[in-house]
Amino acid sequence: MTATVTISKEWIPRIAAFCCNWCSYAGADLAGTSRIQYPSAVRIIRVNCTGRVDPEFVLNALDKGADGVLVSGCHPGDCHYTSGNLKMRARWTLLQMAVEQAGINPDRIRLQWASASEGQKFADGVRELTEKVKNLGPFRRGWQ
Amino acid sequence: MTEPVPIAMAQGSSCWGCYQSLIDIHLNLATVLPLLDIKYWTCVADFKLKDLEGYPDKSITVGLYEGMARTEEDIHLLKLIRAKCKILIAFGSCSCFGGIPGMANFSTIEECNEVKFRNNKTVKDGELPTENLPAIAPVVIPNRDIVDFEIFLPGCPPTSSLILTALTALLEGKPIELPPHTVCHYCDREKKETPIEKILRPYEGIADPDRCLLEQGYICLGSATWGLCEGQCVSHGVTCRGCFGPPPPIMGDQGAAAISMLGSYAPLESEVLADTVHDPLGCFWRFTYPTSHLGAIRIKREEAKTK
Repeated sequence: MTATVTISKEWIPRIAAFCCNWCSYAGADLAGTSRIQYPSAVRIIRVNCTGRVDPEFVLNALDKGADGVLVSGCHPGDCHYTSGNLKMRARWTLLQMAVEQAGINPDRIRLQWASASEGQKFADGVRELTEKVKNLGPFRRGWQ
Repeated sequence: MTEPVPIAMAQGSSCWGCYQSLIDIHLNLATVLPLLDIKYWTCVADFKLKDLEGYPDKSITVGLYEGMARTEEDIHLLKLIRAKCKILIAFGSCSCFGGIPGMANFSTIEECNEVKFRNNKTVKDGELPTENLPAIAPVVIPNRDIVDFEIFLPGCPPTSSLILTALTALLEGKPIELPPHTVCHYCDREKKETPIEKILRPYEGIADPDRCLLEQGYICLGSATWGLCEGQCVSHGVTCRGCFGPPPPIMGDQGAAAISMLGSYAPLESEVLADTVHDPLGCFWRFTYPTSHLGAIRIKREEAKTK
């Protein structure tokens, strides 16, 4: 008996996801243990807090070949370090404006809040971003 | 006395401010000039491009290149001076990071031509000049991506004392040692408390002369900027705009660092920030856009268009 291997021709985006250790990383873990399905496009990078995510990480990811970037952290007010996510929220506003000004569709980047108990919310966020990025097409690779 | 050192000084698209700053070392010129054998410096003497082309490769010890490479002629000059010089210095922020001319990359070349030539508000029946002028590059590429440099000397312009320090060290064959501190290190203003409550535009209110400008709400890029200027602007009551680029290692993303800094100082609501900061790209990446990540993405996209 021979197994037939079919290689999907469909393009799957590459999305870098920065998840905070205390909420969203645990949320992603919960999504996994709860068997919640979500697109395999994300590559999760654990950081201690979204406040640790320098805007340079997001821009560098886009520059180095990511099609989209997700930053996921605790809800405002719930930060393990009291205010890290508020700092990220302020940075995000400016970052989003700058990205749009530079001619990049701001739908490629997403900031979301998902606590450790919100596995479904994390998965939904990933799905939504993946859909948006899929509609926008490949980022850098599409140009060559 | 030792033999004078052969030196060539070239200028791309720029304002000549860096060479003005070099000349502003005033009486020290009397000590520096006899040590130099000027091989090429079109701004002050009647050199032609063919003079530079005529020298054997690597025959000139030191070369300085000021400005961006915007036209085909600039690109040729940059490659030429690289071939002729042993040590090539990126002189000034335009040459190091793209500087003010690098902001042309915010728009496409057609948009630039439209504003500058075809629909220029001060010109009647404007048209794109085509005769007797070098072709314009479709996108500004940072100099460091065209040739390799041995030394980056940023600043808009590099201060006279910085130029003197660097040139003296170079002529004596010593390494150029520059302090790595940011502008805040040289700022005497007092820091009291953060976070700040609101962001002010430069024309709003009257700034307390003794307190940190950022804490008062004015966007000051001092903490994201290399302090080789020794805090000239902040000590005269003006916010730092980041003209010396990021601190060592100098090719970091200054704009991203500035946004990161502002997020820590002013963790405000999104709407408030969006209302007060109108032009993030021009505010945070004013001097370093072409060498930043966003600028690199833009360049790649514009290049892909022409392929």
